[in-house]
Amino acid sequence: MTQIKQLIVIVAIVLTGSIQSQTDYEKAMEKAFSLWEVEGLTAAEQFFERIANAEPNEWLPNYYVAQINSLKSWEEKDANIIKAQLDKAQTFLDVAKSISKDNPEILVMQAHIYTNWVVFDGAFYGMKYGATISELYEKAYRLAPENPRVVFSKADWGYGSAQYFGQDTAPYCKEIEKSLELFANFKPETNFSPTWGKERAEQVLKECK
Amino acid sequence: MKLSILFIFLFATLSSVSQTIVSGIVTDNKDNPIEGANVYLDGTYDGTTTNENGEFSFKTDEAGEKILKISFLAYETFSLSKDVSALNNLKIKLRDDINALDTVVISAGTFSAGDNSKISVLKPLDVVTTASALGDFVGALQTLPGTTTVAEDGRLFVRGGEADETQIFIDGIRVFTPYVPTTSNTPTRGRYSPFLFDGITFSTGGYSAEYGQALSSVLLLNTIEEPDQEKTDIGIMSVGAVLGHTEKWETSSLSVNGAYINLAPYVALFPDRNDWIEPFQGGSGEAVFRKKLNNGLLKMYSAFEFSSFDLIQEDINFPEGIHNKLNNKNLYFNGSYKGVLSNNWSVFGGLSYTYNKIDFEVIDDKIEDKENSYHAKFKMKHHFNNRFKLNFGAEYFSTNFNENYNNPFINEISYGFKNNISAAFTEVDVFFSKNLALKTGLRLEYSELFKELTLSPRISLAYKTSAKSQISLAYGNFYQNPNNNILKFEQDLNAENTRHYILNYQLNNEGKIFRAEAYYKQYDNLIKYDTEYADFTSNYNNSGTAYAKGIDLFWRDNKSIKNLDYWVSYSFLDSERDYKNYPITATPNFVNTHNLSVVTKYWIENWKSQIGMSYSFASGRTYTNPNLEGFLNQKTKSYNSLSLNWAYLISQQKILYFSVNNVLGIKNINGYQYADAPDINGNYASRALRPAADQFFFVGFFWTISEKGTDNQLDNL
Repeated sequence: MTQIKQLIVIVAIVLTGSIQSQTDYEKAMEKAFSLWEVEGLTAAEQFFERIANAEPNEWLPNYYVAQINSLKSWEEKDANIIKAQLDKAQTFLDVAKSISKDNPEILVMQAHIYTNWVVFDGAFYGMKYGATISELYEKAYRLAPENPRVVFSKADWGYGSAQYFGQDTAPYCKEIEKSLELFANFKPETNFSPTWGKERAEQVLKECK
Repeated sequence: MKLSILFIFLFATLSSVSQTIVSGIVTDNKDNPIEGANVYLDGTYDGTTTNENGEFSFKTDEAGEKILKISFLAYETFSLSKDVSALNNLKIKLRDDINALDTVVISAGTFSAGDNSKISVLKPLDVVTTASALGDFVGALQTLPGTTTVAEDGRLFVRGGEADETQIFIDGIRVFTPYVPTTSNTPTRGRYSPFLFDGITFSTGGYSAEYGQALSSVLLLNTIEEPDQEKTDIGIMSVGAVLGHTEKWETSSLSVNGAYINLAPYVALFPDRNDWIEPFQGGSGEAVFRKKLNNGLLKMYSAFEFSSFDLIQEDINFPEGIHNKLNNKNLYFNGSYKGVLSNNWSVFGGLSYTYNKIDFEVIDDKIEDKENSYHAKFKMKHHFNNRFKLNFGAEYFSTNFNENYNNPFINEISYGFKNNISAAFTEVDVFFSKNLALKTGLRLEYSELFKELTLSPRISLAYKTSAKSQISLAYGNFYQNPNNNILKFEQDLNAENTRHYILNYQLNNEGKIFRAEAYYKQYDNLIKYDTEYADFTSNYNNSGTAYAKGIDLFWRDNKSIKNLDYWVSYSFLDSERDYKNYPITATPNFVNTHNLSVVTKYWIENWKSQIGMSYSFASGRTYTNPNLEGFLNQKTKSYNSLSLNWAYLISQQKILYFSVNNVLGIKNINGYQYADAPDINGNYASRALRPAADQFFFVGFFWTISEKGTDNQLDNL
């Protein structure tokens, strides 16, 4: 009996140990997300950066550093800082890409970073990245036609272009509607996998109507 | 019992780890605290952010030697490897990141188009949306300061230099015959389609030791590394048609492009001053193959082109006109490899081959020119750190030129030359700080033809005077062998030489760029000869000299007025030469004292249209009037031209394009031709040299077919 108890204890310790080493990363990620909510983007960004540095096999912390820099560039006015932020986003996304190949979430983020360049200087980067952005969405869609962020971002880009050229936007609105269904049923792979996009999709759909 | 021991043991392991405090202060190099820097132990989650006083302090369970890292946007990441217990009360200064955007840039003499340059004055698209340029990259560069307006020629004349003093390079490799041959009253165009290039650097002086055999200027064109998507481009124009296709694979891509131009329908509709027997027609094919290898990129570019025309041109000495016929075949191949070796070394190797054959007939003379040239280059770069880079390499140019001359009255003669040059260069880039940079190099060339060794030092310095402005200085010594027209008759000569002194000021304020540049150029060893035209009977020597000095101003603004982008260039040039057959020192006929260009592009959202305008003004050019005393004793009236274009986006994939050059139909005069002999009153009769046509109209429809359908050929125009 005691032997069994002992065994249970040992198993428990081994398990705790293995869970422990995982929870270090998980704890850190949780903390990073709480920093995001409480202290804001920079604190979260720096924490994700540290996690990214300590966990060379995890793409998510790199992904979030890229996302935060991409988001920050929206608020920024100084062109030099915008460029530096988008360059930093690209550097971290490149690391994420090297860890996780053909990842639709990363492809979407890449398209977003390029879109920010286009917003920054349309006359120049529109020409440079316009076609690449479409190609990224196509590729992401081939890989994950049921991923709501893929479906929404692709439709959002198509909607913007169609609106610009005065073409029919209805098919894109339909796609956005479909993405909302997908958002509702979306199960992230892990607790830390990307889940964003629903609010923005709802907002764009409102414009559609 | 055992269990509790185990628990105690476990508990102890968890809590017995002693905690150490890591602390310090982070400042910039002027001791100002840096707030918001990320401070952490490398490979752990332990770290913090500096406060408003630049201070940081955090606890860590780590022990032993660890690397402390501090990173902050626009600063170099700081690393310190020490025992954790010693990582407290640190005083750390972060160094400016030299790669940051606000770092000083060596800009004297250089105009760049592209995004890899921090000093871009042009964007790649500008090359093809400038109204007067008609899709020719050379035409767009002629709206920049430092160029002169030689409307009938079309090539780049830079700062008092002749057109052949500018050399063109594709991916760092020389192009020997960059221009399409044309009649004497029609400007030429660059052979290569502008949409193959995504980076253009135009240097009007003081360039790097990597480039030689150019007295005045270099134009560096870089082909696109990776096309963005698979597509087919179709273009139907009033003067011909173009067809292109791009195919992409996992690590490689191929773009092919064909064009056919025939001016016959156009000249039938709008007759010009030439009496055409067979109007200009030309066909070209281009292919670019790119392959990504493990640590590098291989690019292969080849182009084939043929063109021909046959006409009778007006001439003061031949009332029936002069019969002129030309056939040209041109083949160009360019291959290069660019790769990264370990330990901050990178390597580049490239080779180009040119075959050019021109058959002319002028009255009874039949002339056949054949040129076989190649250029091979190898260079290496070592990046010691962000502040110190070394570049060195070697190259070999070989030109084999042969001319056959045939005339009913004499036997066919054949003559030519081999002009082989080997060269080595080395250059260092040093950043003393974010505000002060130096580039200095040395170039050694050996001409096999002249058995002559030349040494050219180059140096440029840039200093940042404020957050938005900088000044640059450059000095350089440049050698170039005389051109084919001289070398085919005489090879016992030396290289021509020039020295450039440049002072540049640049102000770059968010969408507004102002540049001012003053320069002085001294030419020596220019070729002189003692006959009217260079030929076998002439005596040649290297005793010619010249100077050019001037001021170039450039202003570009795309922010002040919404949807309007415009630039203004002004050049003042003072240049005199004593070369060729000049009896005295005089201002040559390709020099305009004043040159002004205004280019605007206005985007009309509701019309999905870009309307472009370009205006150019150039003061008169010299010519010799034999009825008066002296040489190059008169000046033509000034040159004026206003061009308009309209690009209409029918949809994302279809563009309609119109353009008119010289809308106002101004009658420009490029010079005068005088009769060889005076008439009975002792007067030399004259004829104004006018362009073949005062105006030119162009209409084109461009359609891109791609999987997704968002690309268009706006950058094709």
